[in-house]
Amino acid sequence: MPVEVIMPKVDMDMAKGRIMAWHVAEGDTVAKGDPLFDIETDKAAFEVEASDAGTVHHLAATETDIAIGTAVAWLYAEGETVGDPSATVQSAAVPEPEEREPSVEAEKPAEPPAPAAPTPDTEKTRATPRARALAREGGLEIAALAGTGPRGRVQAEDVRATIDHAPNAATAAPTSFVPDTGALAITRKEGEGTPLVLIHGFAGDATAWAPLEAHLKGRALIRIDLPSHGKSPKQRIGGFPALVKEVRHAFDALNLEQAHVVGHSLGGAVALALADTRPRKVASLTALAPAGLGPQIDGAALGGICNATRPESLAPWLRTLVVDETLITDAYTRIAFAPRNDPALRAAQAAMADALFPDGVQAFDLRAALQRLEVPARIIWGKRDRIIPWQHALQAPGRVSLHLFEDVGHLPQIEITAEVGKILQSSL
Amino acid sequence: MNAETKIESRELSYAEAIREAMDIALSTDERVVLMGEDIGVYGGAFQVTGDLVEKYGEDRVMDTPISELGGAGVAVGAAMTGLRPIFEFQFSDFATLAMEQIVNQAAKVRYMLGGSVSVPVVMRFPAGSGTGAAAQHSQSLEAWLGHVPGLKVVQPSTPEDAKGLLLAALEDPDPVMIFEHKILYKMKGPVPAGHYITPIGKAAIRREGKDLTIVGTSIMVHKAMAAAETLAEEGIDAEVIDLRSVRPMDRETVLASVRKTGRLLCVYEGVKTLGVGAEVSAMVAESDAFDFLDAPIVRLGGAECPIPYNPELEKAVVPQVPDILDAARKLATGAI
Amino acid sequence: MDSIDDVANAPYAIRHYAPETLKDALRKMFLIRKFEEGAEDSYTRGLIHGTMHLSIGQEASAVGSCMALTDEDKITSTHRGHGHCVAKGADLGKMFAEFFGKETGYCKGRGGSMHIADPGKGNLGANGIVGGGLPIAVGAALSAKRLGTGAVTVCFFGDGANNEGAFHEALNMAAVWKLPVVFVCENNKYGMSTSTERSTAVANIADRAVAYAMPGKTVDGNDFSAVAESVDTAVARARAGEGPSLIENVTYRWRGHSKSDRNRYRTKEEITDWMARDPIPRMARLLIDHHILSEADVDAIEAEAEATIKDAIAFAADSPDPTVDAVTRDVYTDEIAA
Repeated sequence: MPVEVIMPKVDMDMAKGRIMAWHVAEGDTVAKGDPLFDIETDKAAFEVEASDAGTVHHLAATETDIAIGTAVAWLYAEGETVGDPSATVQSAAVPEPEEREPSVEAEKPAEPPAPAAPTPDTEKTRATPRARALAREGGLEIAALAGTGPRGRVQAEDVRATIDHAPNAATAAPTSFVPDTGALAITRKEGEGTPLVLIHGFAGDATAWAPLEAHLKGRALIRIDLPSHGKSPKQRIGGFPALVKEVRHAFDALNLEQAHVVGHSLGGAVALALADTRPRKVASLTALAPAGLGPQIDGAALGGICNATRPESLAPWLRTLVVDETLITDAYTRIAFAPRNDPALRAAQAAMADALFPDGVQAFDLRAALQRLEVPARIIWGKRDRIIPWQHALQAPGRVSLHLFEDVGHLPQIEITAEVGKILQSSL
Repeated sequence: MNAETKIESRELSYAEAIREAMDIALSTDERVVLMGEDIGVYGGAFQVTGDLVEKYGEDRVMDTPISELGGAGVAVGAAMTGLRPIFEFQFSDFATLAMEQIVNQAAKVRYMLGGSVSVPVVMRFPAGSGTGAAAQHSQSLEAWLGHVPGLKVVQPSTPEDAKGLLLAALEDPDPVMIFEHKILYKMKGPVPAGHYITPIGKAAIRREGKDLTIVGTSIMVHKAMAAAETLAEEGIDAEVIDLRSVRPMDRETVLASVRKTGRLLCVYEGVKTLGVGAEVSAMVAESDAFDFLDAPIVRLGGAECPIPYNPELEKAVVPQVPDILDAARKLATGAI
Repeated sequence: MDSIDDVANAPYAIRHYAPETLKDALRKMFLIRKFEEGAEDSYTRGLIHGTMHLSIGQEASAVGSCMALTDEDKITSTHRGHGHCVAKGADLGKMFAEFFGKETGYCKGRGGSMHIADPGKGNLGANGIVGGGLPIAVGAALSAKRLGTGAVTVCFFGDGANNEGAFHEALNMAAVWKLPVVFVCENNKYGMSTSTERSTAVANIADRAVAYAMPGKTVDGNDFSAVAESVDTAVARARAGEGPSLIENVTYRWRGHSKSDRNRYRTKEEITDWMARDPIPRMARLLIDHHILSEADVDAIEAEAEATIKDAIAFAADSPDPTVDAVTRDVYTDEIAA
């Protein structure tokens, strides 16, 4: 009898998931433990492995919501007759599999789908008294605000962000851009050993790694430019999962045995997502001041950098990134500004910032991914980071190393390049 | 008194500061008498009265029999009829033996008698855990007495306030209960010389900050201050308020701080449920400062059990610096 | 006129007090009786809130125990304390007003029957807690000794209080410190419903004085002269700095413990027997026999007492009620927002 492959429940409050990509094709033979498909929930991405060996048939459609516990494929033993494909999800509608009990041995998720949780729409909006008071003063509907506090609670900063950003969005709205297609830009530096894959932060590009590379002599390096950054195509990125999907595609296409993944800020979050979904491919993870571990981020600085149309208006924002402001020399500012001379790039990045950090808040959450991280990992952070609070690092489980530096800001790879280089070298 | 005399300040221990206050009172006011168990030649269980008996004699520094109810009642009766007794309970726990006189008599006499009599008695209660004295010698019962209209209840946290609040209590026409923390007796700090008072009912802002308000009482003020230093290194700017007075409570100082920071953490050693922090929290929640709250109020108080003997257990049942740090970080980063 | 021998053999009261003083004592006993009856009547008419504890039958103890006291001397009293107030010279109108819960009452309507005090007359107050006044009396005596006022405190308490810890602690401290206090136990046989036989290990409460190294004496509490003689002696001893004494006035309350008492614990015969030993006619007889008063004088005193009580009740009834907005006044000397 064929063995059912189901949409697993991987998150406490998960009711459905969607398959982002299949690693196998109809009729492929798989061994137990082989990766079958990637799923994405509203919180994180997962790789699902085969619970059994066999030939895969009746693959469910990708990019479609599928209720947990539903069959998404069937594994047939050698010689078994392949049955009716309607047993798996081919569209958003979820049909019942023909065989109701295909296999008693099949590993089932422990829990049936949870009873419907109260939907946020019908619940009263969670908001702090101060947020309510600010909203009243600002003439805002509290229910219309996105809460970044625990359980979605609207806090004062959420209201302030909305108030602060409302006029900006209107006046400083960047010019539109025409989305490109194509693969992300990859640049390489030949060298020894398992390569390092470097993922820069928001508003940066592959050149940001240059100072650090001096401390990584002899290592094979691969830099990825994020969408709408550096030499990569300008794309409409609807949210963090879409961003990760693009980077994952690029990473998969590298076809590496393994890589040490290093990411900074937003790139740190992407690196963490990669490590989460490609644990076997990621030899180690190094996240520098990573995003994704809490709601706070300096929305004003993000906006300021996005909107700067000349070096003079960029420099003050760049200075907020570091502790020792003398690091932000005129030359540095000019180099940093050079690519930003392109209004389309600025517009694409502003649109991306709006999707990833609406109202100056980190709209994605990788805290669960951090908790279940299995690859060797370390977080490097400056305790005077003004962009993202370094305390986010404190949520890391014990097996993740923390390297916290006293008088360092958001750019450890620039501010304490040698230290970061040493940490990387020692763990490669 | 020489009001114009320049006030000098010396380092005194909390116990020495209390003794100095009593010394000043005994030397300037014939009506003042000290009463308590073993406060004479023994010097008091915590050596607070020390050698005052040698200076003022046994008629004014009176050893009482081990009769807490009777002793407290004598102090009440004496206060009603012209004396200014300072009654020392050997341990605050023993006040349970005298609750009748404290709660039914001292607190209510003035009201019951239509205001015709005042009871200017001062009672001192060595309180709190940390000495390994276990369940019947380590309690923090200030909330018990704070619950009784007619009493005033204070908790000095520094030597300066220990002296100032005792001198203020002696000037007060109504019964004042002073909860002294046993662990603080040896703590040193600057104490102005001569006579001065620390007003009853007035909190002290020990550290200004903008990110959250920590309201502490007694020894917890010191723990909150230690936590605030660490928090500052992490970029969290905590305001620390020393409540000082449980009844009357300084509403304005607490509310003003909460209006500023939007976050409130109450830290007290007494049992958490129905404790001092419950009152502080309720006071804020019922006030206009409610509209300024940007996170739930958090209370750290004693565990729901008697104070245990084992030193590790004893530490575990009252808030410690790491507990304050943890709660403050969560509050300040919006994690609660 | 009596012969010298007759005077020498006359009871203590006759020998020691001027006729006017004795007449006034009888007047006070009548006032107490009429006060209690007036209170009972008012209660029946619904004019009094709560409950009350009447001391009808115990008038000789109250008045006899206060004979040697001045306004400087203190008393502490009990829940059955109306008689002590009257004996210490309280204003009856203010007493009734307090009963009626009026602003003009001794406690401005905040205390009621159980908390009447008159500090100006040395009355530190009745007490709702059995034994509550004992340590307070010792404290008052301590003040007198320390401040050298020469004042003596008479501490009234009932037989019930002698089994409270406060009794033992208070007597011990008074003795240890040789304080000017006289402990007057009004033994009316029952602590609520429980008789002294069932509750108290010693035959006489005065026997307990031995434990605290002070004189103890059991007296017929319905005999004004005997009470006055014993308490006067104790007050003199206290005033002389020789320390405390314990006097036990054996008496009886005619009424129940409080208004809700159904008298199940004692017999009609017992009550009738004690009513036959009414201290007031006994006092009147003493004064008549010694030619201090005539029958007609006694009747006049009684009538006058009755009129005084009527006026007092009228004053109380006409007095204003306290206002609710001032309900927290007098919790503290200086109003505080607690």
